[in-house]
Amino acid sequence: MTFEIFISQFFGGLSVAMLLFLVASGLTLIFGVAKVFNFAHGSFYMLGAYFSYQAISMFENFWIGAVAAALGAGLVGMLLEICFIRRIAGREEEGAFQILLTYAFILILDDAVKYIWGPAYKTISKPDSLAGSLDFGQVTIPTFNLFIIVLGLVIVVAAWYVLSRTKTGKIIQAASTDTQMVGMLGVNVSLVMSLVFGVATAMGGLAGAMAAPLRTVAPGSGVEVIIDSLIVVVIGGLGNFWGALFAALLIGEVNAFGILWMPQWASLLSFAVMIVVLIFKPKGLFSREKGRKKI
Amino acid sequence: MKRKVVAFVSSMLLCLTSAVSFAAETIKIGALYPMSGRGGLYGQDSEAAIKIALAEVNAKGLPGGKKLDVIVTDDQSKPALAVTLAKRYITEDKVKFLYGVVSSGAALAVTEVSKEYKTIFVGTDHAATDLTANAFQKYYFRVSNNTYQSMAAGALYMKDEMKGAKKIAYIGPDYAYGRDQIAELKYSLGKLGVQYEMVGEFWPKLYEPDYTSYITAIIKAQPDVLVSGFWGGDTVAFIKQAKAYGLFKKMKYFHPDGGGNYEVFSTLGAECPEGLIMSARHHNNWPETKENKDFVAKFKKATGRYPSYAAEGAYAGILAIAEAIKKVGNADDTEALIKAMEGMKVRLPEDPKGFASYIDPKTHQMVQAQAIGVTVKNDKFAPAKYMLGKFKVYPADKIMPTQEYIDILIKTKKK
Repeated sequence: MTFEIFISQFFGGLSVAMLLFLVASGLTLIFGVAKVFNFAHGSFYMLGAYFSYQAISMFENFWIGAVAAALGAGLVGMLLEICFIRRIAGREEEGAFQILLTYAFILILDDAVKYIWGPAYKTISKPDSLAGSLDFGQVTIPTFNLFIIVLGLVIVVAAWYVLSRTKTGKIIQAASTDTQMVGMLGVNVSLVMSLVFGVATAMGGLAGAMAAPLRTVAPGSGVEVIIDSLIVVVIGGLGNFWGALFAALLIGEVNAFGILWMPQWASLLSFAVMIVVLIFKPKGLFSREKGRKKI
Repeated sequence: MKRKVVAFVSSMLLCLTSAVSFAAETIKIGALYPMSGRGGLYGQDSEAAIKIALAEVNAKGLPGGKKLDVIVTDDQSKPALAVTLAKRYITEDKVKFLYGVVSSGAALAVTEVSKEYKTIFVGTDHAATDLTANAFQKYYFRVSNNTYQSMAAGALYMKDEMKGAKKIAYIGPDYAYGRDQIAELKYSLGKLGVQYEMVGEFWPKLYEPDYTSYITAIIKAQPDVLVSGFWGGDTVAFIKQAKAYGLFKKMKYFHPDGGGNYEVFSTLGAECPEGLIMSARHHNNWPETKENKDFVAKFKKATGRYPSYAAEGAYAGILAIAEAIKKVGNADDTEALIKAMEGMKVRLPEDPKGFASYIDPKTHQMVQAQAIGVTVKNDKFAPAKYMLGKFKVYPADKIMPTQEYIDILIKTKKK
């Protein structure tokens, strides 16, 4: 394998990984803080794509579309948390209800999208400034894919800063360890929950808006991303933000090189990685050894 | 006075006949289509086309003044649900025909119900060759092309129009539809004695959202031609992603079964690359016959959009059923209906001038021509900015599955 092919495959994998990370990080954040397994998380990715489609058809500006996607998805996410999820959050013994509830929202959001925008799939154009490609000798990298990689890194840095350098971040971390204790210290826990939900679903929405110029979105496409996100979250450790980042990169690159070397088996590889991780580290690669104290 | 009596009697008669025709029972057809998810567009287009066909057929009238009526239910493209619904159609709704089905998986399940209950099943969309080959049963009929026919036409196209293309790579969804297409293309190329070398086969899962890593791997394999077996949104996503990598400048893109589906062009709009070689089971701009123009115009008027290929199949089946009932004189004698349909000719929107599709008596497969074209600028079917043009037409009898191939399927797949 020449260096060019390696670079080309590596960057391909990286851009896939970053979009995956944007969805999976929200999923894992919600689990970490709210202890809710949000099956409907992929639907916010879908919503984001539709919101940006709508905004772009009104304002003809990609960036307004991206903002609309993040804001819109975040808002719907917060509404969902305030009206429904809050009532069953934290009751780990009733995990089945969480799955039922959030699964129901996959169907509801799918039908809502179909009702509003119709059953045909939608796609949007790349912004003109990012429509080209960069050629480095034999290697071609589309500018837009490069942009997604950069955006992903910016979000990683921003998340690191918020989570470890700000008071809000510390509260979120504390809440993920012991919600009750944080509440007793006078923190408005429900507000924190709603905010986390809002930010997490906004990231999903943003991922949808960023993916829409590359992919097609139709009612039901939430389910198409949730499986891969689940694999990422499980490999990284449920509720572990950095685990999700590492696992997204791992899955993105394993797939990229798997497709190159053994295309017949490529679609099995992410599952194989997950199985290996589950055998040796059942709680995920980045789990704390002792596990979380049960509330 | 006399005139008054005549007027009275005739108006009474008129009332009576209209009352009779009103009371005349309808002949029910139970249709199954996906109404949501990725295949939802095909279901909705099929339903709209069925309504157009019903209006035409019922206006002309059927024997005994009967009318056709179609019930449409969402089968979600799930085999188990499709079977339950099909059985309910037969036992509770007393339908005379099962109809439709987009997913080949669901169709393979429904054809078993059709066989068990001896009820005719008219398939309008699903493309798996199996249904008219190794999984054939006499109550099954298919009114649209199967993948064998498109790939056989594809092989002829490669032989005549793409002489320099020796190195082939393939990408298609990793399930029966994707697997069958390349197997059938290889078979037909072999039959034609075309020399080629496979330099890569890629199997993303169905609805894979991101093809980036596949695209770079395909470019590395350096084929002369990339054969593609995607459908619907997957085609659109692949084309958009591959275009940014300059894939279409490095090799020919050849997509003979479902690449030229109208919804691909309407979604891609101005982003559609020029020079892609594709086909579909129905084209809005070919053939330029009155039948096709009328059908497309009626569909546009009813829905406000142009039809996807699925609509024409759904339209065709209703015409075929009506034709068979006219021949037999009723819809109750199933065996006679089957006899009537075998070899029956139906003139359809997708038939070129001077040809009418007909049902092969042996396999119950509709025998149709296939036209393969190249993407060219054409904004007559907005929002599409590109459509297929420079069509090459392959006659129906040249692309039917051979008995040898059916035997291979029977041997390798059984029923």
